Amino acid sequence: MSGRARARARGIAHSSFRATEVGRTQDSSLPTSVDLSNSEATSSSGFMGTSRISTNHKYGISSCDAGSTFMERGVKNKQDFMDLDISTREKLAHVRDCKTGSSGIPVKLVTNLFNLDFPQDWQLYQYHVTYLPDLASRRLRIALLYSHSKLSDKAKAFDGAMLFLSQKLEEKVTELSSETQRGETVKMTITLKRELPSSSPICIQVFNIIFRKILKKLSMYQIGRNFYNPSEPMEIPQHKLSLWPGFAISVSYFESKLLFGADVSYKVLRNETVLEFMTALCHRTGLSCFTQTCEKQLIGLIVLTRYNNRTYRIDDIDWSVRPTHTFQKRDGTEITYVDYYKQQYDIIISDLNQPILVSLLKKKRNDDSGAWLAHLIPELCFLTGLTEQATSDFQLMKAVAEKTRLTPLGRQQRLARLVDNLQRNTNARFELETWGLHFGSQISLTGRVVPSEKILMQDHICQPVSAADWSKDIRTCKSLSAQSLNTWLILCSDRTEYVANSFLNCLRKVGDSMGFNVDYPKIIKVQENPAAFVRAVQHHVDPDVQLVMCILPSNQKTYYDSIKKYLTLDCPVPSQCVLARTLNKQGMMMSIATKIAMQMTCKLGGELWAVEIPLKSLMVVGIDVCKDALSKDVMVVGCVASVNPGITRWFSRCILQRTTTDVADCLKVFMTGALNKWYKYNHDLPARIIVYRAGVGDGQLKTLIEYEVPQLLISVAESSSNASLRLSVIVVRKKCMPRFFTEMNRTVQNPPLGTIVDSEATRHKWYDFYLISQVAGRGTVSPTYYNVIYDDNSLKPDHMQRLTFKLCHLYYNWPGLISVPAPCQYAHKLTFLVAQSIHKEPSLELANFLFYL
Amino acid sequence: MEATARTKTEALAPCNSVVDGNFEEVPRETVIKFKPPLYRQRYQFVKNLVEQHEPKKVADLGCGDTSLLRLLKVNPCIEFLVGVDINEDKLRWRGDTLAPLMGDYLKPRDLNLTITLYHGSVVERDSRLLGFDLITCIELIEHLDSGDLARFPEVVFGYLSPSMIVISTPNSEFNPLFPSVTLRDSDHKFEWTRMEFQTWALYVANRYDYSVEFTGVGEPPAGAENVGYCTQIGIFRKNGGKAMESCVSEQHDQHVYKAVFTTSYPSLQQERFFKLVLVNEVSQQVESLRVSHLPRQKKQDGEWDDTPKDSQASSPCFGPVFTEVEKAKIENSPKPFCVGDKFFVPLQRLLAYPKLNRLCANEEMMRSGIADSIPLSSDGSAVVADLRDYSDEQF
Repeated sequence: MSGRARARARGIAHSSFRATEVGRTQDSSLPTSVDLSNSEATSSSGFMGTSRISTNHKYGISSCDAGSTFMERGVKNKQDFMDLDISTREKLAHVRDCKTGSSGIPVKLVTNLFNLDFPQDWQLYQYHVTYLPDLASRRLRIALLYSHSKLSDKAKAFDGAMLFLSQKLEEKVTELSSETQRGETVKMTITLKRELPSSSPICIQVFNIIFRKILKKLSMYQIGRNFYNPSEPMEIPQHKLSLWPGFAISVSYFESKLLFGADVSYKVLRNETVLEFMTALCHRTGLSCFTQTCEKQLIGLIVLTRYNNRTYRIDDIDWSVRPTHTFQKRDGTEITYVDYYKQQYDIIISDLNQPILVSLLKKKRNDDSGAWLAHLIPELCFLTGLTEQATSDFQLMKAVAEKTRLTPLGRQQRLARLVDNLQRNTNARFELETWGLHFGSQISLTGRVVPSEKILMQDHICQPVSAADWSKDIRTCKSLSAQSLNTWLILCSDRTEYVANSFLNCLRKVGDSMGFNVDYPKIIKVQENPAAFVRAVQHHVDPDVQLVMCILPSNQKTYYDSIKKYLTLDCPVPSQCVLARTLNKQGMMMSIATKIAMQMTCKLGGELWAVEIPLKSLMVVGIDVCKDALSKDVMVVGCVASVNPGITRWFSRCILQRTTTDVADCLKVFMTGALNKWYKYNHDLPARIIVYRAGVGDGQLKTLIEYEVPQLLISVAESSSNASLRLSVIVVRKKCMPRFFTEMNRTVQNPPLGTIVDSEATRHKWYDFYLISQVAGRGTVSPTYYNVIYDDNSLKPDHMQRLTFKLCHLYYNWPGLISVPAPCQYAHKLTFLVAQSIHKEPSLELANFLFYL
Repeated sequence: MEATARTKTEALAPCNSVVDGNFEEVPRETVIKFKPPLYRQRYQFVKNLVEQHEPKKVADLGCGDTSLLRLLKVNPCIEFLVGVDINEDKLRWRGDTLAPLMGDYLKPRDLNLTITLYHGSVVERDSRLLGFDLITCIELIEHLDSGDLARFPEVVFGYLSPSMIVISTPNSEFNPLFPSVTLRDSDHKFEWTRMEFQTWALYVANRYDYSVEFTGVGEPPAGAENVGYCTQIGIFRKNGGKAMESCVSEQHDQHVYKAVFTTSYPSLQQERFFKLVLVNEVSQQVESLRVSHLPRQKKQDGEWDDTPKDSQASSPCFGPVFTEVEKAKIENSPKPFCVGDKFFVPLQRLLAYPKLNRLCANEEMMRSGIADSIPLSSDGSAVVADLRDYSDEQF
């Protein structure tokens, strides 16, 4: 199995572009991942529990507590608004007036954004409310204000201190008095603080609160920031999953006005209680190692208790306690669990032999009594989120993808229905009207389709039929350069020796047509266990060995991890792992061998193809970050830089740092290394550097600008004596709200490859654009969002956009366009390999090879 | 927790809620503190009553912040739950906490439940409150002025005329035990002695053909037993049960209340959720049968690593516990079998399991419930699954 395949098998969470795994069946549907990347199924929200990948959205556990009021939720959006408040464009003189490109064919696009209409002079009034005597309870403060007749028919949003009204009160300071249930008279003083125009950040926050309120009125269920329709669930019974269809919504200020955006989203819920899980596990493992396996599987998971809708983390399992045992309630009385649940929730516990789950509760404020333990009954706890095992379950992820995939037309219809509901539901309309708002039309805009690129091979320039996949076009062409493979090893078991031989023949044949000379390897037979493989590697690898290929008997993670670990740390040699099952696929051998031949070529330092790069002496850099799978407080930062003007050779470094922020602290080390390498190969420094930075979470933009960019600038300045070296930094995001469709023959479709949007759906304060560089055959494509936060290069927007598009052609693991520039994807592959399997910095001896493919 | 929970006399800590009165300006001295708090005891009293009588339709007049409704909604017998209050903002503000939670969707109720909150006055007639099994007026009547109090029986007893009415109100004889209290709440128009309440109650009961029984919550402390419960409660039962039902349909629709919030719960009575639960239960049962079928299979092949299973006693053992009758029923049903690499579980077998039997009365009902989602044998009499699942390797 190739590294790529492994990445995919473990869940497509971050690699949501075209799958290139070796031996994928013809219909294993590339678009799957494209669609999924935007659905909740792979998003790594806290609730989903798949937090091993750095994530932009952290929905705290509290978010599923339906009890909290809307204002609390509003606060969660602050991070987004923090980003939106940062103006980077005004510092970039060359785009201050115009940031749009011009080349390409104009294309009319429909979006998932809607106008919000309100009167010209619309304003929001922000008041501060104080209470005399002061009331500690927020709920009481809200109750008192809400029940006062003076405000009863006004549109209002109130969080206990700050009050927002759309109509101004007559006086600047209004004094009201109200009476509590206990008969206390409380004086409320409402003081006008600010008058806010509709474009102010606070105002936008209030708009979001209003829309959340409205969607609740449509009987939608709020989880995190999204709204779901629980009355129309979709089932995947074989995996015990339910999917709730729903929407992610937001109101935001785009290029020139306030827009409402909605995108289809799915919530994955598990129809499995902890008890059912344990019972099934017990059946599978047998009793002997059950408790151990069970603890390993369950501890750390988040469960939802159905009686109160709270979520808890399982910290321990108490096997000695049964539901028939008693515990002490807070008032000191003893009661059995069975009686407690009967009395409190009318729930009858049916299995009296089950153990008790233990959860450590967070300390309450002002509570010195130590940590609380919550005892939970497995029968009453639902599992939440997908375990690592589930996300690595290809069948499961495929089933989810099939259910959640939506064509552009399907998506458009869902949107239309939501909008129809918003406009027709009297409660929703009433709420909008009291605020003076009106829901407007869907936004259409004009994008541009930039010209397609030619692929440069060794002795051939090819114009692919489809930029999505040019594997057919280059089948007979030679790669740009390839080392010949003379000394290498194949490790396989007795059972797989036959398939290894037939594969080898194929590999030599396809290698020949690619210009990749493959000699016969030394074939080593090993026993089918991970330790035997590693021992064989240790024993047979010597300094002359160029590459080690392992044919793995199963996709057990230990095989892959232990081999990769040894061959990237202890004994740095490029390695190629492939599953025996993959090689056994009938009629697929040629295409599998081609893929592997290409990967091997790269791992040995070869170059497959190039595109024309008009800028001479340009270095492109990709940076991605990701959390280490073993120790969550370790960040893996992967950096990749091109080291030749043709952008076909790469230098990489992966650095692990112990910090809680995503921000790469080690860029200087990397940049210095990359510039030295460039100098070594080109006897000069590059004139320009363009950095593509992925893995940026909400609210991190400020740190990026204030910390990372200066760090890059310093390392560049220190390395070059002449100050002419120019730098650009671009934030790349695969997740963004806007979607674009082309309207054609009364239906909507995905826009063509190379579609660029740089107006209306962009942000006024930023130098940004959207680029569609990947296909989604059966799903809806999601555009990739680029935000140029720093730009000394002063390239014309048109050139910046087209350069970015060119770079999406250069990922050697897939002969076609991908959703992000190649350096980003290389950096991602590198961090993923290190975070999942190696957990240490790979040896620098491998830095010039694409060993992480 | 019993309705007659004990009271304790404690020194006043910085105490803010004793009963519904306001004591904060009161000099620190010994006061009565109820445990659990008195309001909880009142709610628990109603809850016990509901469990005992299993009413289908319950209304709470003067529901305030809907706390009682939230307590009652977990009761499986209730299908209609209504709250009425004159404070609309309060209903709106707290109302959506009555909406179904995620767990309610994952594990739907047996019966439908609709919860509606109305904004309106208890002395107005609204036909949507006709035909109820239980109407509660917890700490309500003392907030009515004399005019409304006079109209109240006419509306609640005469017009709405539910099978059972529960009315609670403060017992003013208890008040001397509180430091310097005249009325427990500034909005109280009166507080009655037991005699006053009972006289009123008996008069009303007589007039509208109800019988009444008196009780209360909040026991007096030792030595002051003669003052009676802190909260006095009258339980009114209509004589002749539900005889009024026929009149209900003759009434004209009269909608004076404004519906502020309404929500309905998923339940097994709704086809979609019935199927969801059934399909899940069936797949789980089939999976567990399949997995327990596997080891034996392996043993026959000679591959199975036969570890001694002596640790039965110390290791946990769970899963559903069956009675002897249930066990016999399962044993006597057709057994799962294999044909090639396919595993068959006869529907009759599945029906023998109590959990599934509870959902489906017969084979046909099960078949039509799962046919869309689970593969069946060609004659439709059994569920088919692959004997070996790709996920088996993972353990």
